[in-house]
Amino acid sequence: MARGLGPSVWIQRFPQLFGLIGLWILLLFYFAVWVPHFYGFGTLGNILQFSTILALVTLGQCLVILAGGAGIDLSVGGIVSLAGTVMAFVAQTAVGTVPAIVICLLFGALLGSINGILVVRFKILPLIATLGTFFVFYGLAQAITGGAPQAGFEKWFAFLGRQRIGHLPIHFLGMVLPAFAMAYLVLTGAPLGRWIYAMGCNELAARLTGIHVSRVRFGLYVLSGMLSATAALVANAWLMSARPDIGYNLELESLTAALLGGVSIFGGKGNVIGVLAAVLFIVTLKTGLQLAGVNSVWQMGLVGLMLILSVFIEQFQRT
Amino acid sequence: MGPRELALLTACILALSVFTSCSPYFFTGGNFATIARNSVELMVIGLGMTLVLAIGGIDISLGAAMGVSAFFVGRSIELGFSPILIVMVGPLAGSVMGGVSAFTIIAGRIPPIIATLGLFGIYRALIFFLLGGRWLSGLEDVLGTVVKTSIFGVPLLSLQILALFLAGYVILRRTPLGVAILAIGGNEHSAHLAGIRIVRTKVFVYVTGGFLAGIAATYYVAQYRNVEMTVGGTVALDAIVAAVLGGATVLGGRVSLLGTALGVILVRMLQNGLLLIGVPSLWQQTIIGGLLISVLVIDAVTPQLKGRKPKAWQEA
Repeated sequence: MARGLGPSVWIQRFPQLFGLIGLWILLLFYFAVWVPHFYGFGTLGNILQFSTILALVTLGQCLVILAGGAGIDLSVGGIVSLAGTVMAFVAQTAVGTVPAIVICLLFGALLGSINGILVVRFKILPLIATLGTFFVFYGLAQAITGGAPQAGFEKWFAFLGRQRIGHLPIHFLGMVLPAFAMAYLVLTGAPLGRWIYAMGCNELAARLTGIHVSRVRFGLYVLSGMLSATAALVANAWLMSARPDIGYNLELESLTAALLGGVSIFGGKGNVIGVLAAVLFIVTLKTGLQLAGVNSVWQMGLVGLMLILSVFIEQFQRT
Repeated sequence: MGPRELALLTACILALSVFTSCSPYFFTGGNFATIARNSVELMVIGLGMTLVLAIGGIDISLGAAMGVSAFFVGRSIELGFSPILIVMVGPLAGSVMGGVSAFTIIAGRIPPIIATLGLFGIYRALIFFLLGGRWLSGLEDVLGTVVKTSIFGVPLLSLQILALFLAGYVILRRTPLGVAILAIGGNEHSAHLAGIRIVRTKVFVYVTGGFLAGIAATYYVAQYRNVEMTVGGTVALDAIVAAVLGGATVLGGRVSLLGTALGVILVRMLQNGLLLIGVPSLWQQTIIGGLLISVLVIDAVTPQLKGRKPKAWQEA
């Protein structure tokens, strides 16, 4: 499909992606000039270090949105917090860290399946269903820990969060890149990818073609939960403790990253490469602001602004 | 009063009797005053949220808009404006922010949840910017008459809220505007074909939502006489819960103002009562969320509500 395409065709096909990369380079220049200690490979490593959590969460978010049906997962932050704390509690018992990792992932899938059941079986609008589960998951993470970080992982576990190859963190190379590559291949090549786009474009038509819309959608919510749990895993390994507030604001940031990356909020349009670029863009912005000593509330405002602008731009491209 | 309101009233009475039997401090005048005081902002914002839900929209930013308005109210007290002006500042600021919501949603054609989630982040940053990291505290008691006066033993504040709800009821059920709001919530396309002015009605609803957030902010400042970063933090989400408990649907076209009021009372009474019987406050969020999900599931499996309004993705 991509054979014989010149660069101009690629730019025409993914205008948003190239716009993003242009913006990203501008941003890097700006920070390199104005923020001391920003420039250097160490900073690139740091940006990637921070990117992993958002990237994994956003991948799930973007797949849920792509599949249409007003799909959205506001509970991702709650899942990251709750799966992470549950993992810490398991690791604190005698069973050790390895089973805790497995349980963390399964638990994420379980939480995702609750979203899936509410949306698919009970046909509750995803935005209100996942808002409710966000309350429950995030609240539970606070309640069972009393708001305090939970330690107790075995020492070797830290390598997953802190080990770097060259300057690049191992979890970015070993989790984010394969996950996005796989998602890219599935979305562009595999039947499942076609189904997801078809559902997002016209659900009724997809159903009449014989696509198991409910099953695919349920699976995507489970996958989103599992990816959030993977993000929790990385966060735990990095901090060597489970912070119950680690998922704070992730729903806003992951939505922004997905939509900024060119995913249509109405589903059926978008690709994961753009989403990864958007994640890197947002994290670069946040890291630069942090190094410049700007209060994190400003980051929240900026992310909110980007969220609105990205949909705004998409809507005007449409007409 | 429909079956929904009756069920909610029963739930309120049930909660009341459980808490009374479990805690000696619950069934006291002082505690009821506390519950009432804590319900004020949620009542007003809940009314606004109900109108927004009626049109098939949602406004997550109402709580943050309340925070921004509260700053303007507090600042105008600090600057020594006349009381009449101070009372007008909050609703004015709120209406402007409601207008911004309406503009973003209508002109930008952005889904309400996305637009107002973004505005929520922006307003939070705005509050920080306006406050500059400090608190407005120890404000002069200029607005005391608004919240402390009683007429024949009935607090003036509760009469004001009652008046707001009555006005909401009249608009929603007794005027063409109300018909337009519910029609748009029911089916925007049909409403458009029927000649209803969509844009005008939506602007009215979102501006009213912001206006009410401004009123809530005025009440807040009048009661507590300080403004901090966290004013209005989660009140918008609580308002959605209260409205949905009361029988509103996020799909639009079906709401109950009485239901919302009862929902607010139930939410605040649960929060208060659970605290008094010794449940740590960290559990509140979980319990409110669980309540929301249970109601959504009950709504989904109740036959008369099923298939009420098939959307494109629910057909076939």
